[in-house]
Amino acid sequence: MTAEEVIDLVESRGAKEAAKEVDVVTTGTFGAMCSSGAFLNFGHSEPPIKMQKVWLNGVPAYTGVAAVDAYIGATELKEEDNMHYGGAHVIEDLISGEVLSLKATSYGTDCYPRREIETSITLDMMNQAYLFNPRNAYQNYAVATNSTDRILFTYMGKLLPNYGNATFSSAGQLSPLMNDPKCRTIGIGTRIFLGGGVGYVSWEGTQFSTTAPVKNGVPTRPSRSIAVIGDLKKMSTEYIRALTLHGYGISLAVGLGVPIPILDEEMMESVAIRDEDIFAPVFDYSVQSRSRKVLTEVSYAELRSGHIELFGKDVKTSSLSSYYKARQIANELKKSIEKGTFLLSEPVQALPSEKSSKPLEIRSKEGVKI
Amino acid sequence: MTKRKFLMSFTPSIVNEPITFRMVKDFDLMLNILRAGVDERGGKLVIEIEGKPSQIKKGVGYLESSGVEVKELNEYVSKDEDRCTSCGACISICPAEAFEMLKETYKVEFHKDRCIACGLCIDVCSPNAMKLEIW
Ligand code: SF4
Ligand code: SF4
Repeated sequence: MTAEEVIDLVESRGAKEAAKEVDVVTTGTFGAMCSSGAFLNFGHSEPPIKMQKVWLNGVPAYTGVAAVDAYIGATELKEEDNMHYGGAHVIEDLISGEVLSLKATSYGTDCYPRREIETSITLDMMNQAYLFNPRNAYQNYAVATNSTDRILFTYMGKLLPNYGNATFSSAGQLSPLMNDPKCRTIGIGTRIFLGGGVGYVSWEGTQFSTTAPVKNGVPTRPSRSIAVIGDLKKMSTEYIRALTLHGYGISLAVGLGVPIPILDEEMMESVAIRDEDIFAPVFDYSVQSRSRKVLTEVSYAELRSGHIELFGKDVKTSSLSSYYKARQIANELKKSIEKGTFLLSEPVQALPSEKSSKPLEIRSKEGVKI
Repeated sequence: MTKRKFLMSFTPSIVNEPITFRMVKDFDLMLNILRAGVDERGGKLVIEIEGKPSQIKKGVGYLESSGVEVKELNEYVSKDEDRCTSCGACISICPAEAFEMLKETYKVEFHKDRCIACGLCIDVCSPNAMKLEIW
Protein backbone atom coordinates (compact mmCIF):
# COMPACT_ATOMS: atom_id res chain seq x y z
CA MET A 1 0.00 0.00 0.00
CA THR A 2 1.05 3.58 -0.44
CA ALA A 3 1.44 5.94 2.50
CA GLU A 4 -1.76 7.59 1.35
CA GLU A 5 -3.85 4.44 1.01
CA VAL A 6 -2.79 3.17 4.38
CA ILE A 7 -4.31 6.16 6.21
CA ASP A 8 -7.87 4.89 5.89
CA LEU A 9 -6.91 1.35 6.80
CA VAL A 10 -5.28 2.42 10.03
CA GLU A 11 -8.19 4.70 10.80
CA SER A 12 -10.74 1.91 10.41
CA ARG A 13 -8.82 -1.06 11.83
CA GLY A 14 -6.27 0.53 14.11
CA ALA A 15 -2.49 0.36 13.78
CA LYS A 16 -2.12 -3.00 15.44
CA GLU A 17 -4.42 -4.86 13.06
CA ALA A 18 -3.15 -2.94 10.03
CA ALA A 19 0.45 -3.83 10.91
CA LYS A 20 -0.45 -7.51 10.65
CA GLU A 21 -1.89 -7.06 7.18
CA VAL A 22 0.61 -4.74 5.53
CA ASP A 23 4.32 -5.52 5.10
CA VAL A 24 5.52 -2.51 3.19
CA VAL A 25 4.29 1.02 2.66
CA THR A 26 5.58 3.06 -0.25
CA THR A 27 6.25 6.79 -0.28
CA GLY A 28 7.13 9.31 -2.96
CA THR A 29 8.14 12.88 -3.61
CA PHE A 30 8.84 14.93 -6.70
CA GLY A 31 10.22 18.40 -6.27
CA ALA A 32 13.07 20.81 -6.85
CA MET A 33 16.20 19.41 -5.24
CA CYS A 34 19.01 21.85 -5.94
CA SER A 35 21.53 19.69 -4.17
CA SER A 36 21.80 17.23 -7.05
CA GLY A 37 24.31 16.39 -9.73
CA ALA A 38 25.96 13.62 -11.66
CA PHE A 39 29.40 12.04 -11.79
CA LEU A 40 30.43 11.30 -15.37
CA ASN A 41 33.34 9.42 -16.87
CA PHE A 42 33.97 10.27 -20.52
CA GLY A 43 36.68 7.72 -21.39
CA HIS A 44 40.13 8.59 -22.76
CA SER A 45 40.83 10.35 -26.04
CA GLU A 46 43.77 9.74 -28.38
CA PRO A 47 46.15 11.23 -27.40
CA PRO A 48 44.73 11.48 -23.89
CA ILE A 49 43.93 14.65 -22.00
CA LYS A 50 43.87 15.44 -18.29
CA MET A 51 40.77 17.58 -18.33
CA GLN A 52 41.26 20.71 -16.27
CA LYS A 53 38.16 22.52 -17.38
CA VAL A 54 35.19 20.87 -18.99
CA TRP A 55 31.90 22.07 -20.49
CA LEU A 56 28.84 20.10 -21.52
CA ASN A 57 26.62 22.10 -23.89
CA GLY A 58 28.44 25.14 -22.55
CA VAL A 59 27.77 24.34 -18.89
CA PRO A 60 30.94 24.00 -16.79
CA ALA A 61 31.37 20.76 -14.85
CA TYR A 62 33.82 20.25 -11.98
CA THR A 63 36.78 18.20 -13.03
CA GLY A 64 39.23 18.66 -10.18
CA VAL A 65 39.19 14.89 -9.83
CA ALA A 66 40.87 12.32 -12.08
CA ALA A 67 41.69 12.99 -15.76
CA VAL A 68 38.34 12.26 -17.40
CA ASP A 69 35.95 12.27 -14.44
CA ALA A 70 33.67 15.22 -13.86
CA TYR A 71 30.77 16.24 -11.67
CA ILE A 72 28.01 18.26 -13.25
CA GLY A 73 26.00 20.14 -10.63
CA ALA A 74 22.31 20.70 -11.29
CA THR A 75 22.42 24.43 -10.54
CA GLU A 76 25.51 25.21 -12.61
CA LEU A 77 24.67 27.83 -15.25
CA LYS A 78 25.62 27.88 -18.88
CA GLU A 79 28.14 30.65 -19.39
CA GLU A 80 26.74 33.87 -20.90
CA ASP A 81 23.20 32.53 -21.09
CA ASN A 82 21.32 34.45 -18.41
CA MET A 83 19.90 31.49 -16.52
CA HIS A 84 18.05 29.65 -19.25
CA TYR A 85 20.10 26.50 -19.40
CA GLY A 86 22.17 24.74 -16.78
CA GLY A 87 23.44 21.52 -15.29
CA ALA A 88 19.92 20.24 -14.70
CA HIS A 89 19.17 20.61 -18.41
CA VAL A 90 22.38 18.76 -19.26
CA ILE A 91 21.24 15.91 -17.00
CA GLU A 92 17.75 15.85 -18.51
CA ASP A 93 19.13 16.00 -22.07
CA LEU A 94 21.51 13.14 -21.31
CA ILE A 95 18.65 10.99 -20.03
CA SER A 96 16.52 11.74 -23.06
CA GLY A 97 19.33 10.45 -25.28
CA GLU A 98 20.37 13.73 -26.84
CA VAL A 99 23.80 14.38 -28.32
CA LEU A 100 25.71 16.89 -26.21
CA SER A 101 28.80 18.91 -27.04
CA LEU A 102 31.77 18.16 -24.82
CA LYS A 103 34.64 20.58 -24.61
CA ALA A 104 37.68 20.39 -22.35
CA THR A 105 40.95 22.24 -21.93
CA SER A 106 44.15 21.37 -20.13
CA TYR A 107 47.76 22.40 -19.58
CA GLY A 108 49.20 19.18 -21.01
CA THR A 109 51.52 16.80 -19.20
CA ASP A 110 54.00 14.15 -20.28
CA CYS A 111 51.40 11.46 -19.81
CA TYR A 112 48.42 13.56 -20.98
CA PRO A 113 49.78 15.64 -23.86
CA ARG A 114 46.49 16.90 -25.35
CA ARG A 115 45.58 20.45 -24.43
CA GLU A 116 42.06 20.68 -25.73
CA ILE A 117 39.26 18.60 -27.09
CA GLU A 118 35.90 19.26 -28.70
CA THR A 119 33.61 16.36 -29.38
CA SER A 120 30.05 15.09 -29.15
CA ILE A 121 28.79 12.59 -26.62
CA THR A 122 25.65 10.79 -25.45
CA LEU A 123 24.84 9.09 -22.18
CA ASP A 124 25.33 5.65 -23.76
CA MET A 125 28.87 6.54 -24.79
CA MET A 126 29.96 7.35 -21.24
CA ASN A 127 31.52 4.70 -19.07
CA GLN A 128 29.72 5.69 -15.91
CA ALA A 129 27.08 8.30 -15.26
CA TYR A 130 25.40 8.35 -11.89
CA LEU A 131 23.43 10.87 -9.96
CA PHE A 132 25.02 11.64 -6.66
CA ASN A 133 22.84 14.04 -4.75
CA PRO A 134 24.20 15.33 -1.44
CA ARG A 135 20.84 16.45 -0.08
CA ASN A 136 17.47 15.15 -1.25
CA ALA A 137 14.06 14.35 0.18
CA TYR A 138 14.14 16.97 2.91
CA GLN A 139 12.02 16.03 5.88
CA ASN A 140 9.55 18.89 5.89
CA TYR A 141 10.22 22.31 4.46
CA ALA A 142 9.32 25.96 4.74
CA VAL A 143 6.33 27.89 3.46
CA ALA A 144 7.37 31.11 1.73
CA THR A 145 5.54 34.41 1.56
CA ASN A 146 6.41 38.04 0.94
CA SER A 147 5.51 41.07 3.07
CA THR A 148 7.00 43.74 0.81
CA ASP A 149 5.37 45.65 -2.02
CA ARG A 150 7.53 44.17 -4.74
CA ILE A 151 7.59 40.75 -6.39
CA LEU A 152 10.31 38.43 -5.10
CA PHE A 153 11.92 35.72 -7.20
CA THR A 154 13.19 33.00 -4.90
CA TYR A 155 14.00 29.32 -4.89
CA MET A 156 10.47 29.05 -3.53
CA GLY A 157 9.13 30.56 -6.75
CA LYS A 158 7.53 33.89 -7.52
CA LEU A 159 6.21 35.55 -4.38
CA LEU A 160 3.60 38.21 -4.97
CA PRO A 161 3.66 41.47 -2.97
CA ASN A 162 1.78 42.01 0.30
CA TYR A 163 1.35 38.35 1.13
CA GLY A 164 -0.17 37.85 -2.33
CA ASN A 165 0.58 34.15 -2.24
CA ALA A 166 2.44 31.48 -0.31
CA THR A 167 4.41 28.57 -1.71
CA PHE A 168 5.37 25.26 -0.15
CA SER A 169 7.30 22.23 -1.23
CA SER A 170 6.74 18.89 0.39
CA ALA A 171 4.72 15.82 -0.46
CA GLY A 172 3.46 15.90 3.16
CA GLN A 173 1.79 12.62 4.02
CA LEU A 174 3.48 10.90 1.04
CA SER A 175 6.94 12.30 1.70
CA PRO A 176 9.49 9.56 2.51
CA LEU A 177 11.07 10.99 5.65
CA MET A 178 7.75 12.17 7.08
CA ASN A 179 6.59 8.57 7.13
CA ASP A 180 9.65 7.28 8.94
CA PRO A 181 10.36 10.41 10.95
CA LYS A 182 13.13 8.98 13.10
CA CYS A 183 14.69 7.03 10.22
CA ARG A 184 14.18 3.68 11.89
CA THR A 185 14.17 1.87 8.55
CA ILE A 186 15.91 4.36 6.27
CA GLY A 187 19.69 4.25 6.52
CA ILE A 188 22.85 3.87 4.49
CA GLY A 189 22.30 1.20 1.86
CA THR A 190 18.52 1.45 1.73
CA ARG A 191 17.38 0.70 -1.82
CA ILE A 192 15.09 3.41 -3.17
CA PHE A 193 13.28 4.58 -6.28
CA LEU A 194 15.38 7.33 -7.83
CA GLY A 195 14.48 9.19 -10.99
CA GLY A 196 12.65 6.23 -12.45
CA GLY A 197 15.46 3.78 -11.73
CA VAL A 198 16.91 2.18 -8.65
CA GLY A 199 19.07 4.12 -6.24
CA TYR A 200 20.52 3.87 -2.76
CA VAL A 201 20.80 6.02 0.29
CA SER A 202 24.52 6.65 0.42
CA TRP A 203 24.90 8.89 3.45
CA GLU A 204 23.07 11.29 5.71
CA GLY A 205 22.08 14.34 3.67
CA THR A 206 24.00 17.57 4.18
CA GLN A 207 22.49 19.83 6.86
CA PHE A 208 20.95 16.72 8.44
CA SER A 209 19.39 17.82 11.68
CA THR A 210 17.34 16.18 14.39
CA THR A 211 16.78 19.17 16.65
CA ALA A 212 13.52 20.62 15.27
CA PRO A 213 10.40 20.79 17.41
CA VAL A 214 8.16 17.78 16.86
CA LYS A 215 4.38 17.77 16.52
CA ASN A 216 2.38 14.55 16.09
CA GLY A 217 5.64 12.65 15.74
CA VAL A 218 7.06 14.67 12.84
CA PRO A 219 9.40 17.66 12.87
CA THR A 220 7.84 21.01 12.07
CA ARG A 221 10.98 22.42 10.40
CA PRO A 222 13.36 21.24 7.66
CA SER A 223 15.17 18.42 9.45
CA ARG A 224 16.64 15.19 8.18
CA SER A 225 17.63 14.59 4.58
CA ILE A 226 19.42 11.87 2.63
CA ALA A 227 22.32 11.72 0.18
CA VAL A 228 21.42 9.40 -2.66
CA ILE A 229 23.09 7.69 -5.56
CA GLY A 230 21.71 5.98 -8.67
CA ASP A 231 22.51 5.04 -12.26
CA LEU A 232 21.59 7.88 -14.61
CA LYS A 233 21.45 5.42 -17.49
CA LYS A 234 18.39 3.78 -15.97
CA MET A 235 16.48 6.99 -15.25
CA SER A 236 13.63 8.62 -17.13
CA THR A 237 12.75 12.24 -17.85
CA GLU A 238 9.34 11.40 -16.42
CA TYR A 239 11.00 11.57 -12.99
CA ILE A 240 13.99 13.86 -13.61
CA ARG A 241 13.10 17.28 -14.89
CA ALA A 242 15.15 20.44 -15.36
CA LEU A 243 13.58 23.52 -13.80
CA THR A 244 14.13 27.20 -14.49
CA LEU A 245 13.28 29.25 -11.44
CA HIS A 246 12.91 32.68 -12.95
CA GLY A 247 15.18 35.25 -11.35
CA TYR A 248 16.78 32.64 -9.13
CA GLY A 249 18.46 30.01 -11.24
CA ILE A 250 18.30 26.41 -12.35
CA SER A 251 17.27 23.42 -10.31
CA LEU A 252 16.47 19.78 -10.83
CA ALA A 253 13.16 18.15 -10.02
CA VAL A 254 13.93 14.70 -8.69
CA GLY A 255 11.44 11.90 -8.25
CA LEU A 256 12.29 9.81 -5.22
CA GLY A 257 10.44 7.06 -3.39
CA VAL A 258 11.32 4.98 -0.37
CA PRO A 259 9.68 1.71 0.70
CA ILE A 260 9.09 1.47 4.41
CA PRO A 261 8.90 -1.99 5.95
CA ILE A 262 6.30 -2.19 8.70
CA LEU A 263 8.37 -3.49 11.57
CA ASP A 264 5.76 -3.03 14.26
CA GLU A 265 2.70 -1.14 15.38
CA GLU A 266 4.69 2.04 16.00
CA MET A 267 5.96 2.00 12.42
CA MET A 268 2.41 1.57 11.21
CA GLU A 269 1.34 4.60 13.21
CA SER A 270 4.13 6.66 11.64
CA VAL A 271 3.22 5.82 8.06
CA ALA A 272 -0.43 6.62 8.71
CA ILE A 273 0.43 10.28 9.29
CA ARG A 274 -2.01 12.64 7.55
CA ASP A 275 -1.57 16.07 6.00
CA GLU A 276 -3.84 17.45 8.75
CA ASP A 277 -1.25 16.50 11.34
CA ILE A 278 1.91 17.71 9.61
CA PHE A 279 2.82 21.35 10.16
CA ALA A 280 5.21 23.66 8.32
CA PRO A 281 6.54 27.08 9.33
CA VAL A 282 5.63 30.16 7.29
CA PHE A 283 8.53 32.55 6.66
CA ASP A 284 8.69 36.01 5.16
CA TYR A 285 11.23 35.56 2.36
CA SER A 286 11.79 39.30 2.07
CA VAL A 287 13.84 39.04 5.27
CA GLN A 288 17.32 38.49 3.88
CA SER A 289 18.67 36.58 6.81
CA ARG A 290 19.29 32.97 7.68
CA SER A 291 17.27 33.33 10.86
CA ARG A 292 13.86 34.43 9.75
CA LYS A 293 11.07 34.53 12.27
CA VAL A 294 8.37 31.92 12.01
CA LEU A 295 5.18 33.87 11.22
CA THR A 296 2.90 30.96 11.97
CA GLU A 297 2.58 27.23 11.44
CA VAL A 298 0.11 25.73 8.99
CA SER A 299 -0.81 22.15 8.18
CA TYR A 300 -0.30 20.54 4.80
CA ALA A 301 -4.04 19.95 4.61
CA GLU A 302 -4.57 23.71 4.78
CA LEU A 303 -1.76 24.35 2.30
CA ARG A 304 -3.18 21.85 -0.13
CA SER A 305 -6.66 23.37 0.11
CA GLY A 306 -5.39 26.30 -1.94
CA HIS A 307 -5.71 28.94 0.78
CA ILE A 308 -4.28 29.73 4.16
CA GLU A 309 -5.09 32.51 6.53
CA LEU A 310 -2.30 34.95 7.33
CA PHE A 311 -2.93 37.96 9.59
CA GLY A 312 -6.64 37.62 8.89
CA LYS A 313 -6.01 37.68 5.15
CA ASP A 314 -6.91 34.89 2.79
CA VAL A 315 -3.70 33.95 0.99
CA LYS A 316 -3.59 31.68 -2.05
CA THR A 317 -1.15 28.80 -1.86
CA SER A 318 0.85 26.95 -4.49
CA SER A 319 2.87 23.82 -4.24
CA LEU A 320 6.23 23.67 -5.96
CA SER A 321 6.55 19.94 -5.70
CA SER A 322 4.07 17.75 -7.49
CA TYR A 323 1.72 15.67 -5.40
CA TYR A 324 0.48 14.09 -8.60
CA LYS A 325 3.95 12.78 -9.38
CA ALA A 326 4.62 11.83 -5.75
CA ARG A 327 1.58 9.59 -5.95
CA GLN A 328 2.69 8.16 -9.26
CA ILE A 329 6.06 7.28 -7.71
CA ALA A 330 4.55 5.65 -4.62
CA ASN A 331 2.25 3.62 -6.90
CA GLU A 332 5.00 2.60 -9.25
CA LEU A 333 7.19 1.51 -6.37
CA LYS A 334 4.29 -0.44 -4.91
CA LYS A 335 3.77 -2.27 -8.21
CA SER A 336 7.46 -3.14 -8.60
CA ILE A 337 7.54 -4.54 -5.07
CA GLU A 338 4.44 -6.63 -5.74
CA LYS A 339 5.93 -7.93 -8.98
CA GLY A 340 9.18 -8.74 -7.22
CA THR A 341 11.26 -6.50 -9.48
CA PHE A 342 12.17 -4.21 -6.61
CA LEU A 343 13.64 -5.84 -3.54
CA LEU A 344 13.82 -4.18 -0.18
CA SER A 345 17.20 -3.90 1.49
CA GLU A 346 18.09 -3.47 5.10
CA PRO A 347 20.33 -0.51 5.88
CA VAL A 348 23.94 -1.38 6.65
CA GLN A 349 24.28 1.61 8.94
CA ALA A 350 21.72 3.83 10.63
CA LEU A 351 21.64 7.58 10.05
CA PRO A 352 22.61 9.75 13.03
CA SER A 353 20.03 9.77 15.79
CA GLU A 354 21.19 13.13 17.07
CA LYS A 355 22.73 15.86 15.03
CA SER A 356 22.38 19.59 14.61
CA SER A 357 23.10 21.76 11.62
CA LYS A 358 25.66 24.51 12.18
CA PRO A 359 25.65 28.00 10.71
CA LEU A 360 28.71 29.64 9.18
CA GLU A 361 30.17 32.59 11.07
CA ILE A 362 32.64 35.09 9.70
CA ARG A 363 35.69 34.72 11.91
CA SER A 364 39.42 35.35 11.92
CA LYS A 365 41.86 32.51 12.38
CA GLU A 366 42.60 33.77 15.89
CA GLY A 367 38.89 33.98 16.63
CA VAL A 368 38.48 30.22 16.31
CA LYS A 369 38.39 28.60 19.74
CA ILE A 370 39.71 25.09 19.65
CA MET B 1 -11.64 51.17 -20.14
CA THR B 2 -10.00 47.87 -20.87
CA LYS B 3 -8.12 46.47 -23.82
CA ARG B 4 -8.58 42.97 -25.10
CA LYS B 5 -7.22 41.22 -28.14
CA PHE B 6 -9.27 38.97 -30.37
CA LEU B 7 -8.81 36.89 -33.45
CA MET B 8 -11.84 37.12 -35.72
CA SER B 9 -12.49 34.70 -38.53
CA PHE B 10 -15.25 35.25 -41.03
CA THR B 11 -16.60 33.34 -43.99
CA PRO B 12 -16.75 34.84 -47.51
CA SER B 13 -20.45 35.57 -47.11
CA ILE B 14 -19.91 38.17 -44.45
CA VAL B 15 -16.67 39.66 -45.68
CA ASN B 16 -18.64 42.57 -47.06
CA GLU B 17 -20.36 43.49 -43.80
CA PRO B 18 -19.08 46.80 -42.43
CA ILE B 19 -18.21 45.13 -39.16
CA THR B 20 -15.49 47.39 -37.91
CA PHE B 21 -17.53 50.45 -38.73
CA ARG B 22 -20.46 49.23 -36.64
CA MET B 23 -18.20 48.22 -33.78
CA VAL B 24 -16.92 51.78 -33.55
CA LYS B 25 -20.21 53.54 -34.18
CA ASP B 26 -22.72 51.40 -32.30
CA PHE B 27 -20.61 50.25 -29.39
CA ASP B 28 -18.25 53.17 -28.91
CA LEU B 29 -15.18 51.00 -29.15
CA MET B 30 -11.68 51.83 -30.31
CA LEU B 31 -10.27 49.29 -32.69
CA ASN B 32 -6.69 48.67 -33.51
CA ILE B 33 -6.18 46.21 -36.33
CA LEU B 34 -3.01 44.30 -35.65
CA ARG B 35 -3.12 41.94 -38.57
CA ALA B 36 -5.54 41.14 -41.37
CA GLY B 37 -5.78 38.72 -44.24
CA VAL B 38 -8.46 37.61 -46.69
CA ASP B 39 -8.45 34.61 -48.98
CA GLU B 40 -10.98 32.33 -50.67
CA ARG B 41 -11.89 30.72 -47.33
CA GLY B 42 -12.77 34.05 -45.78
CA GLY B 43 -10.90 36.55 -43.68
CA LYS B 44 -8.94 36.74 -40.46
CA LEU B 45 -8.46 39.79 -38.36
CA VAL B 46 -6.42 40.24 -35.23
CA ILE B 47 -7.81 43.19 -33.46
CA GLU B 48 -7.34 45.01 -30.20
CA ILE B 49 -10.56 46.35 -28.81
CA GLU B 50 -10.57 49.12 -26.27
CA GLY B 51 -13.63 50.30 -24.45
CA LYS B 52 -15.88 49.73 -21.46
CA PRO B 53 -15.94 46.04 -20.51
CA SER B 54 -19.71 45.93 -20.97
CA GLN B 55 -19.46 47.49 -24.43
CA ILE B 56 -16.73 45.04 -25.48
CA LYS B 57 -19.00 42.23 -24.44
CA LYS B 58 -21.88 43.65 -26.46
CA GLY B 59 -19.63 44.27 -29.45
CA VAL B 60 -18.33 40.72 -29.38
CA GLY B 61 -21.91 39.51 -29.05
CA TYR B 62 -22.85 41.47 -32.13
CA LEU B 63 -19.92 39.97 -34.06
CA GLU B 64 -20.88 36.48 -33.09
CA SER B 65 -24.52 37.05 -33.99
CA SER B 66 -23.47 38.19 -37.43
CA GLY B 67 -21.64 34.92 -37.98
CA VAL B 68 -18.07 35.95 -37.11
CA GLU B 69 -16.04 33.46 -35.15
CA VAL B 70 -14.36 35.37 -32.33
CA LYS B 71 -11.53 33.98 -30.28
CA GLU B 72 -9.74 35.80 -27.54
CA LEU B 73 -5.99 35.73 -27.84
CA ASN B 74 -5.74 33.52 -24.78
CA GLU B 75 -6.14 30.77 -27.33
CA TYR B 76 -2.46 31.37 -27.84
CA VAL B 77 -1.56 30.49 -24.31
CA SER B 78 -0.91 26.79 -24.17
CA LYS B 79 0.17 24.16 -21.71
CA ASP B 80 2.52 21.40 -22.80
CA GLU B 81 1.01 18.41 -21.03
CA ASP B 82 4.21 16.39 -21.28
CA ARG B 83 6.30 19.01 -19.57
CA CYS B 84 3.71 19.93 -16.94
CA THR B 85 4.48 18.11 -13.71
CA SER B 86 1.23 19.22 -12.05
CA CYS B 87 3.22 20.99 -9.35
CA GLY B 88 0.68 23.77 -8.99
CA ALA B 89 3.07 26.73 -8.85
CA CYS B 90 0.91 28.53 -11.39
CA ILE B 91 -2.25 28.26 -9.32
CA SER B 92 -1.69 31.06 -6.84
CA ILE B 93 -0.24 33.36 -9.50
CA CYS B 94 -2.94 33.33 -12.17
CA PRO B 95 -5.25 36.33 -11.66
CA ALA B 96 -7.95 34.66 -13.76
CA GLU B 97 -7.95 31.41 -11.80
CA ALA B 98 -7.39 29.52 -15.03
CA PHE B 99 -5.62 26.66 -13.29
CA GLU B 100 -7.36 24.08 -11.21
CA MET B 101 -5.89 21.32 -9.09
CA LEU B 102 -8.31 18.45 -9.69
CA LYS B 103 -9.49 17.08 -6.36
CA GLU B 104 -9.28 13.37 -7.12
CA THR B 105 -6.11 13.09 -9.17
CA TYR B 106 -4.10 16.16 -8.12
CA LYS B 107 -3.54 16.85 -11.79
CA VAL B 108 -3.39 20.51 -12.72
CA GLU B 109 -5.88 21.44 -15.40
CA PHE B 110 -5.62 24.55 -17.52
CA HIS B 111 -8.95 26.19 -18.33
CA LYS B 112 -8.11 28.11 -21.45
CA ASP B 113 -11.47 29.84 -21.49
CA ARG B 114 -10.69 31.64 -18.25
CA CYS B 115 -7.23 32.79 -19.36
CA ILE B 116 -6.79 36.49 -20.14
CA ALA B 117 -3.35 36.05 -21.69
CA CYS B 118 -1.64 38.20 -19.07
CA GLY B 119 1.51 36.09 -19.29
CA LEU B 120 2.12 35.92 -15.52
CA CYS B 121 2.29 32.13 -15.45
CA ILE B 122 4.95 31.89 -18.13
CA ASP B 123 7.98 32.51 -15.93
CA VAL B 124 6.39 30.89 -12.90
CA CYS B 125 6.24 27.52 -14.59
CA SER B 126 9.67 26.12 -13.85
CA PRO B 127 9.53 23.09 -16.16
CA ASN B 128 8.63 25.57 -18.96
CA ALA B 129 5.32 23.98 -19.80
CA MET B 130 3.42 27.25 -20.34
CA LYS B 131 3.86 29.07 -23.64
CA LEU B 132 2.49 32.36 -24.89
CA GLU B 133 2.70 32.44 -28.66
CA ILE B 134 0.74 35.08 -30.47
CA TRP B 135 2.09 34.25 -33.91
S1 SF4 C 1 3.50 25.63 -12.96
FE1 SF4 C 1 3.77 24.62 -14.95
S2 SF4 C 1 4.34 22.52 -14.43
FE2 SF4 C 1 3.47 23.41 -12.58
S3 SF4 C 1 1.30 22.85 -12.70
FE3 SF4 C 1 1.48 24.89 -13.60
S4 SF4 C 1 1.71 24.47 -15.80
FE4 SF4 C 1 2.13 22.54 -14.75
S1 SF4 D 1 -1.58 33.93 -19.11
FE1 SF4 D 1 -2.33 34.93 -17.23
S2 SF4 D 1 -4.51 34.49 -17.21
FE2 SF4 D 1 -3.61 33.08 -18.68
S3 SF4 D 1 -3.21 31.25 -17.50
FE3 SF4 D 1 -1.34 32.46 -17.45
S4 SF4 D 1 -1.50 33.65 -15.57
FE4 SF4 D 1 -3.55 32.88 -16.01
